[in-house]
Order: sequence, then structure tokens, then C-alpha cells
Amino acid sequence: MLEMRGVTKAFGSTVANDSIDLELRKGEIHGLLGENGAGKSTLVKILYGLYKADEGEIYIDGEPAGITTPSDAVDRGIGMVHQHFMLVPTLSVAENVVLGAEPGQGPRLDIAAAERAVRDLSERYGLRVDPTANVGHLSVGVQQRVEVLKTLYRDARILVLDEPTAVLTPQETDELFTVLRGFVDEGLSIILITHKLGELLGVSDRITVIRDGKVVDTVVTSETDEAELARLMVGREVVLQVAKEDVEAGDVRMEASDLIVDGASGEAVSGVGLEIRSGEILGVAGVDGNGQVELAEALAGVRQPRSGRIELAGEDVTALDSAAMRARGLAYVPEDRGGKGLVGEFTLAENFVLKTYRRSMFSKIGWLLRNAIRAFARRRIDAFDVRPPNPQASAASLSGGNQQKVIVARELAGEPDVLIANQPTRGVDVGAIEFIHGQLLEQRERGAAILLISLELDEIRQLADRIAVMYDGRIVGEIDAADATDEQLGLWMAGRGGPDEDQPTGDDRVRS
Amino acid sequence: MSGDEIEEVDEAEGRRSIGEILREQVVAAGRALIFPAVALAIALLVGVVVILITGNSVIEAYAALLRGGFGSRQALGRTISNATPLIFTGLAVAIPFRGGLFNIGGEGQLFIGAIAGVWIGLTMPGPGPLVAFVAIIVAGLAGWIWGAIPGLLKIWGAHEVITTIMLNFIGINLTFWLAKNPLSGEGAVPGTGFVPEGVRLTRLGGGLGAAHYGFVLGIVAAIVAYILIWRTTKGYELRTVGQAPGAARYAGMSVAANSFLAIALGGMFAGLGGGLESLGTFGKVSVPFISNLGFNGIGVALLGRNHPAGVVLGAIFFGGLAAGAQQMQFSTGVPLDLADVLLAIVLLFVTATKLVEYLLGRRARTFAAGTRLEKGLAG
Ligand SMILES: Nc1ncnc2c1ncn2[C@@H]1O[C@H](COP(=O)(O)OP(=O)(O)OP(=O)(O)O)[C@@H](O)[C@H]1O
Ligand SMILES: [Mg+2]
Repeated sequence: MLEMRGVTKAFGSTVANDSIDLELRKGEIHGLLGENGAGKSTLVKILYGLYKADEGEIYIDGEPAGITTPSDAVDRGIGMVHQHFMLVPTLSVAENVVLGAEPGQGPRLDIAAAERAVRDLSERYGLRVDPTANVGHLSVGVQQRVEVLKTLYRDARILVLDEPTAVLTPQETDELFTVLRGFVDEGLSIILITHKLGELLGVSDRITVIRDGKVVDTVVTSETDEAELARLMVGREVVLQVAKEDVEAGDVRMEASDLIVDGASGEAVSGVGLEIRSGEILGVAGVDGNGQVELAEALAGVRQPRSGRIELAGEDVTALDSAAMRARGLAYVPEDRGGKGLVGEFTLAENFVLKTYRRSMFSKIGWLLRNAIRAFARRRIDAFDVRPPNPQASAASLSGGNQQKVIVARELAGEPDVLIANQPTRGVDVGAIEFIHGQLLEQRERGAAILLISLELDEIRQLADRIAVMYDGRIVGEIDAADATDEQLGLWMAGRGGPDEDQPTGDDRVRS
Repeated sequence: MSGDEIEEVDEAEGRRSIGEILREQVVAAGRALIFPAVALAIALLVGVVVILITGNSVIEAYAALLRGGFGSRQALGRTISNATPLIFTGLAVAIPFRGGLFNIGGEGQLFIGAIAGVWIGLTMPGPGPLVAFVAIIVAGLAGWIWGAIPGLLKIWGAHEVITTIMLNFIGINLTFWLAKNPLSGEGAVPGTGFVPEGVRLTRLGGGLGAAHYGFVLGIVAAIVAYILIWRTTKGYELRTVGQAPGAARYAGMSVAANSFLAIALGGMFAGLGGGLESLGTFGKVSVPFISNLGFNGIGVALLGRNHPAGVVLGAIFFGGLAAGAQQMQFSTGVPLDLADVLLAIVLLFVTATKLVEYLLGRRARTFAAGTRLEKGLAG
């Protein structure tokens, strides 16, 4: 029903899409897979009229689609859910859904009709949302449902989702996929971009793999497996399960006790204590929003805890800020690369010294040594294979995965004693995941103490030596990785079966 | 204890060839100029309509405009003399903008600087050049203080747009009161007395009329501003805070301290501009005094995309237009107001980035960076 033929798009000297052919059938979920920077987002942005292709045509139902703006795309029945939501936080769900296509005549908004329409749609497709709720108060998962409703309200027959699961919990992902399967049963077609091979294998019908802007192959999902997909994507064999050496855990490098930390809306961490030893990875699992971000920020010196104590190699560092922590050998990879880890409009070189610009090798008496900074950036870029390998490129022009590499490359410079990594592989392709995991294990072997926070249970189980589970601001359970089971961790993540409870309480308010 | 030693790097590795730097500079300059150039073209087109309505010849009018701004030494002198304070008030907006703040207070800061400069000029004994030197320093300091107040209030949560507007009223009226009361001089025009001739800034000479060395100081100020913002660690912090406060916090930089610094620096530049204007061009502060220089600084900064080099060009453009308009009125009878209309249209299009983007195609989006107002208004 949709065909893209010979689509080509270059940004300056980078060819993001090189003569791409893609065919989308009615009633299928078509996966798009490729490394960071392969050109997936660019391709769907062309389809949605956000970019203009240099060459190539798009056909819908055999006719040239003639899409030059997003509103053309909407008219042709294409709906897009962007990775960054485009919602108005102060409006209600119903208002957001109908925005720009309001029901009723004249300038008056018929809010009742809008709410009715939203309610009908959400019931029909099993997308649970309250049409009257204020969007700003909804969780990310629910906001995403609102985005999907927006496209349905505009009668989309082709739905494009760019990395929709990067922000979802495993449960929310399952729910989303159930909804998507419902859509295709109704005859809609879906293009789905994700870096998670397992997800794609579970939900899609066919998968097109893109590498360096070119289509490598289109495969039928039921006839392929993770290893083949990874190989197609990267162009070589990928080790999906990194080998972990036995490392004897050494001294305690970082210790926190009775930490209470306030978040944006009240207390987020309620009395956490932990210790991380040299040569070990402590994994912190948990559903998003249970205090992990605030814990990481408090430990890294970005957020001042309300009470409690943090020690680094025996020294009380509770009151220090992040630059001082960095100077004492603590590295921190934050979860939000766009807002915290990088300055989008700065060059890569400038971003590489975000915390270390005061060092004598990068500045003298307040004067930036730009050549030294650039030389340092060039080295780190080469070492981590950041693309494009240009220290003068702006951080915002890099694809998501390459931005993440820049942050990891910066933080791991100079052999830190302690590393706090919050979702270090979020939105990163398998090749880069392999690389970052390898780096984390290398640091561990070298003797660094690592706190790895992740929403991906698989990642934690693969890398961690000990696993702690956070729920509602507390660590509700801790276990040796070797003894952990998915069931046990799952119970803890849902806030049940904690060490203080002999029996699961069966608390009905907690949905699992 | 810490293994946090970053391996030594060889500076030479980071050095770039002249060709590479040159190419980058040319591309950057081209990008920076394309926006104002398109805006100017549109403005001139609209101007054609206005001139035709007034029943004049378009060619003659525009020729007179150009002649009046740049056609002779006297014209150039007028342009330079107009541009001098605008360089300073333009920097007064551009630097806070880089730090994420929108300084509307240039007007008040300029007045405070002007009266402070004259106060020293009138009361300090000693050789003229020394008095002039001290007067200029004090003018800058006074402007710094007038910028520091909204900086402090910002730390306590008051938005700088509101506080700088209020401080404009206070600054202007305080200046008038000082000029009419403690510093009042004799003469028909109300205001302070004239500072001694030896304290006045030397004229550039060479047939450039009233243009004085303040212009040279303006160029120096722009260079200093550039170095400060792009070559020093302080400027690096300031830009980080302006671009991404979240990343600044993450890196351990103080958002409050840098916001304060940004707007206080802005105030200092406006104050210097005021001091040079009163000591150089007028020799006194009269009531009512030169006005709108502070506000026009906002336009200059926007036109110059908040870059010191752009500010200098923008100020010369503003100054030339004002000088040229007089000539145009004199020789063709097109009203002086046409200059204001042209300016307004240029500014409209320079700020209406979306519209020009549309005209130039989507590619132009990156060109607009640095001129977007929203950023300055947000935090
Ligand atoms: N607006 C732009 N200007 C310049 N280069 C761009 C722009 N958008 C994308 N690119 C470049 O085009 C290439 C493809 O980027 P794209 O965002 O499509 O990758 P992607 O496959 O979606 O990657 P990811 O998985 O990391 O999101 C990259 O090299 C990127 O740097
Ligand atoms: Mg993408």
C-alpha cells in the first residue's frame, strides 16, 4: 500500500539515505532496523514531509503521494509518533488529540464532542486514557498513547513509530505492542523503528535492515533470528552476550548511607544505603521513576541530598558538587543525554571538556587552550568510533547513539575510580551496546567500582555482580547476580516480596 | 588517591590548517549574513512602495540614503558617531543573551553610565586625560551595578525582563533628577554643565566631524567581548548556562553566578556607552537626554545575531540608516520616518525567523540559530 523507491537524501557530505526502496503491505508491522546514524529517522521524516528527498518517489496505493509537508502526509493517511512528543502539557488529553483538527463549526471548540471521540477511539483500540486528564500530569507511557490517538483521530492508515519503546517500561511496551497488533488486525499498516532486536522479532511481520543509508535486506521475521539481524545491521558478527571475566571485588570505593533525596515532586529517595567495591558492578533494577535518577544525581554530586552521607574512598563527599566529584575520580553518565549530558549547539570538542575545562591541560589562567581541547576530542572520537569523526561538528547534528558514545567516551577518559552509569545504552544500536558493555566490563576488570542503573533487566543480569532493586525510593531487595531469578526481581520491581515482608501483601493498588 | 589523570595530549594534534579555519569562517559568516541580507532586501522592496506613495523617485531617494550614510567624509562621520553608542548597547543585549538572559535594561544602564561619567568629569580635579579615563571607568562601573541589580533579583526568582524594564524608569528619572539638581549647570538647556574641554573625548578628525575615539573603544570592546565569550573558561561557562542549564548543573557550573555575571557585564557595556556618549558627543547630560539608544541596542544585537562582530556591523547599519535618512529628507522630501519604517521591517524579518526560513527553504533553519528570541525569554 506504500512504496518508497530510490529515496536519497544528503546532508552536506553525509548521505543519510542512499537510494532506499521500501515496501509496506496492508496489515503488516514492518520493522526498520539499523545502526545509529544509519538513516532510519531521516527516511521516515521524508515520508512524513519533514524533510524533502533529493531523489526518489513515494507511492501510496500505486499513486504518487506528492507529500511535501506534514499536513500532506496526514491527508494521505500517514500518522507519526515522534521520539520526542509534540504535546501541549497544559491542555487536556482531548484538547491535544483534536488540536489542529477540532470538531464543531466556527471558532468554538466543541469539547464534549472531542472527549466523546477520544473516548470512542480509546475504547475501540484498547488505549486506556482519561480524555479529561491534563497531559502534563501523565506518565510518558500514557503520553505516548495520546500521540497514537492523535494519529488515529486523523484517520491514519499508516502509522510510523520512531523508537517508541525507548521510553517505556517492559510492561508498557507489551501493552503498546498488543495495541499495535490490534491495529493491523483492523487493516492499518505500521512502520516501527527500534533498536531492540527481541521486540522486533516478537511483534513485526517483516524487517528491513539499513546500513550506512542503504537497504541491506528485507527479511521475513519468522525466518530470522537475533544473530542474523545483528550481522546484517553491523556487517560483521556481533557478540550479543559479552564475556565476563571473574574479578575479585576489592575495597569499598563508594559508600552511601541513609540517603534521603528530594526530586521535583517531593521525596524521591527515602533512605537508601549502598556500597560499591572496586572491580564490581552493582546493578540497580527497577521500573522508571522509582528514584533512580535522583539517587544517581545525589551520588554524582549533581543533586544535594536532604540528609544522609556519601563517602568516596573513605572521605566524606556529601557536600561536594559534580566538578569536585569528578576531580576525585567519579564519572557519571546521566540518563538524559540531550538535556544534561551534552550541549546541543556546542561542538563535540567543547562537549568533551564539559567537566574538565578547568584542568591545566585544557585551560591556563582562564584561557581555553582550544588546540589541546580539539586534540583530546579527536583522540576520544577515534577511540570510540564516534561518527562523524569531526570535533567541530555540533553535538545536536549527531544521531542519538553517537551522542551517547560521546558522553561515555568523555566520562571514561582518565580511568575513573567510580562510575555511575544511568541507562548508558538507551537508544543505542546493538553494535554500540556491545561496545559500551565491553567498556564497562573493561573498567571493572581494571578495578573501577561501577553502579549501573538500567530499566532493562537483561542488561543488568548480563553485567552486574550484585543486583539491587529500587521501588518507591527504597532498595527493596538485593541479591547476588548468580542467585537472581527473573521472578524474584520482577516481584521486587512491583514492590512486593521485599525483605521486610514475609509474604507478598497482595496490594491491589500495585499493578504489575 | 585518584586515578583521574587524563592522558597528556599533544597540542599540535588539535591544530587546524589555515585553510580549514578560513573555510569555516567564510561559511559561518555567509550563514550569519544571509538572514539580515534577505531581511534588508524585503525592507527595501517595501520601502519602494512607501517612496512611490510619497511621489518621489525611488532611485533618487535610495541614492540619497546611501550618500547620506556613506557617501562622504562628513556622512561617514555622522554614521560613526551614531554607531558608537549602539555598539555598546548592542553588546549589552548580546552578552546577556549568550548567557540565556534578555536584557531590556540597556536604556537605564546607559543613562546611569552617562550621568556617572559626567559627574566625574565635572567634579574630579586633575589632568584632563586622567579625568576622562576615570570617568569612563566609573561609567562602566555604574552600568555594571545597574545590571547587577536585576542579576541579583534573578537569583531570587524575579524575571529579568520585568526587572530591567522597571530599572529603566528608575535609571532614567534618577539621571534627570541628578542632572537638574545636584549637578545642574547654567545655560538655556536644562541639565548638567559642560565638562571641561580637556575631559572631552578627542575627535577622530580627518573630516569625520563629530565622530570621536569612542568608536575605536567600541571596536575594542567588541573584540574584548568576543575573547571573553569564546576564548575563556568564564565565557565557556556563561554559554553553557545560556544554552543548556541542565548540562551546566550536571557539569558543576553555577547557573545563578553565571546569569548574574552575564547581565552585569551587559550593564557595564551599556554604562560605558552612556559615558562615552556624554563625555564625547555631548559633553553634558541634558534633560531630556539622548534617548532610545538602549532600546535600539536590542535591534542591533538581533541584527548582529548576538555576535560581537555582528553587533559592530549592525550598529554601523543602524547609524548609517539614520544618517542617510536625513540626507534623503533633505534632497528628496521623503520623510525621515521612512528610515524607521525600513528599520522596523528589517527587524521584523530578522526576528520572524520562521517566515524567512520559509522563504529560503528549510535549509535556512540552522542560519537562524542565535537570533531566536524564545530562548532568551524562556528561563
Ligand atoms: N539535520 C541534519 N543535519 C545534518 N546531518 C544530519 C541531520 N539529520 C541527520 N543527519 C545525519 O544523517 C545520518 C542519519 O541520521 P538519522 O537520524 O536518520 O539516523 P538514525 O538511523 O535514526 O540513527 P539513531 O538510531 O541513532 O536514531 C547521521 O549521520 C546524522 O548525523
Ligand atoms: Mg533516529
